[in-house]
Amino acid sequence: MSSRDEILARLKQNAIKPEPRPEADFQPLTFTNPVEQFQKILQVAGANSVLLEKGEDVNEIIRKTYPEAKTIASNLPGINCATVNPDLLEDPRELNGTDVAVIRGEFGVLENGMVWIKQQTRHKALFFISEALVILLNRDNLVNNMHEAYARPGFDDYGYGCFIAGPSKTADIEQALVIGAHGARSVTVILE
Amino acid sequence: MSSHAKAAKKFIADRERTAWHDQALYFVREKRDRMAHGVPEWEALRKTASRMKKHTISNLAYYLEMFERNATANGAHVHWAKDAEEHNRIVYDIIQRHGGKHLIKSKSMLSEECGLTPYLEERGVEAVESDLGERIMQFMGTPPSHIVLPAIHVKREEVGKVFEKELHTEPGNSDPTYLTHAARKALRQNFLNADIAMTGVNFAVASSGAFVVCTNEGNADMGTSFPKVHIAIMGMEKVVPDYDALALYVRLLARSATGQPSTTYTSHYKKPVEGQEMHIVIVDNGRSDILGNPDHVNMLKCLRCGSCINTCPVYRRTGGYSYSYFIPGPIGINLGMLRSPEKYSGNVSACTLCHSCSNVCPAKIDLAEQIYKWRQQLDPLHLASSEKKFIVKGLKLVMEHPAMFYSAIKAGRLAEKMPRFVLYNSLDAWGIGRELPDFAPETFNEMWKKGEVK
Repeated sequence: MSSRDEILARLKQNAIKPEPRPEADFQPLTFTNPVEQFQKILQVAGANSVLLEKGEDVNEIIRKTYPEAKTIASNLPGINCATVNPDLLEDPRELNGTDVAVIRGEFGVLENGMVWIKQQTRHKALFFISEALVILLNRDNLVNNMHEAYARPGFDDYGYGCFIAGPSKTADIEQALVIGAHGARSVTVILE
Repeated sequence: MSSHAKAAKKFIADRERTAWHDQALYFVREKRDRMAHGVPEWEALRKTASRMKKHTISNLAYYLEMFERNATANGAHVHWAKDAEEHNRIVYDIIQRHGGKHLIKSKSMLSEECGLTPYLEERGVEAVESDLGERIMQFMGTPPSHIVLPAIHVKREEVGKVFEKELHTEPGNSDPTYLTHAARKALRQNFLNADIAMTGVNFAVASSGAFVVCTNEGNADMGTSFPKVHIAIMGMEKVVPDYDALALYVRLLARSATGQPSTTYTSHYKKPVEGQEMHIVIVDNGRSDILGNPDHVNMLKCLRCGSCINTCPVYRRTGGYSYSYFIPGPIGINLGMLRSPEKYSGNVSACTLCHSCSNVCPAKIDLAEQIYKWRQQLDPLHLASSEKKFIVKGLKLVMEHPAMFYSAIKAGRLAEKMPRFVLYNSLDAWGIGRELPDFAPETFNEMWKKGEVK
């Protein structure tokens, strides 16, 4: 008998009385002013946010937010401030040293500041290795909480996806919060 | 004296450090409270999460098979390991097949449980911990003292010293930002040079075959971004039925663990990326036995958030190394006893039965109640302390005979006036580290008889 079959046999042998699946009998957290709440919670997560006004150019905002940036990587149409198309790189290691990555978020979650990022570039390394991350997000795509997030139609349609809430952080030395553990040191969400 | 009490003696000898440790943990506990209070439906959320876990573990084989089927269809390789040894062998086989030499790891309690790192190192595979706290502990050569905050017992100066030696940081610089960024720089090279990536699994979604890994540092995602092989290891209890169930746990996990609304990165791995192999190792290692143990089956609901550890007054004041099992605190006391009562019964005394752990657990595990049950089992398992048994026998005799009880109280009054060396000596384990309370001038019985009680 394989280990798999042995384990499954043991589980069946030791099985407890089947419990029915519970119904959620509560009203989850909702917010009345989505954009305001999202900007507030992004700040809690350590991220910046910018409301893109009509006629404003995203590229200008990116340049203004990260004036020192030399390498800006993006495969998004319209991001002409990009200096590198990350999809043309064979090896993800070549992304080391990227100053800013510009990517697209699918939707944001109001209760915790997460933005759902689906793999959209050849190498997912881009989301983590660049010093700063700029996430473009449609301000109409905001959900209240995780229940709504996972219930979005087509959510399961991804190979790799990540909820990102602000910059990389750690408090492993004496509980002192430090921004920039391994991933982006700065995250800016541009709400279009 | 229990193994916990003996080890704790060393920790509490440094009073300042004990107070510092206590406060550091309580700070995390308070953050958790603020998060819980910010979610009006918190208690209902816990209740549903707990019942969803019960539903899942009562259909564990069904959901694991569903997960396996879907993960396989997604292109992942699923392996099953009966015990720690088989888990280690499977992992090593995969590494060997790819000629791997450098493994980059994100934090996994399961790998600690299985002793994976020493196993691999004996076989010439370097396993580098990429979580900062775990890396600090790896440099120091000691195990983590907490399941979520591995280096919570270490002071910044000590981190500075070990980084000075390992990473050649500036002598005497113990600024957390400076040290963290030094580790960032050094580990960046480990990420880029690794040939095998390993992560744990926080949740495995049966309906989709995806698994979720939560970190604040982004180390799991950095780790899996370069090597051609990703090995994810999971205890069987990590499976959740579907995304609706997952929503409950993602909401609870970070709020309970570190008092954040969410972790920075909540990564969903479903299909291997182009050119990469993805392996998932599902590990039993005693979990199917827990399922067959009605008094302790609830332990399979654990999310490994560590909130029971943060709130535990005994843990906060005695530190992780006072426990003989590798997981400390209320969760560790219970899991240790399930692993081996013979080896780990020395921890069950490390509990005041205050029940704070049961009250913060996001899956509503009856942690304190189970510790109490284990204590009742010590005598039948022949693990009870003979000294305590003797005292309890004596107490029983006194309690059953009122005349003896009252003379004992009188004797106690007299004893109070005896010199310290009579009251506090090595024959009296209770008196070590404790002070006798003052006797009340009158007993309740005397007051009642005099009509003083209205």
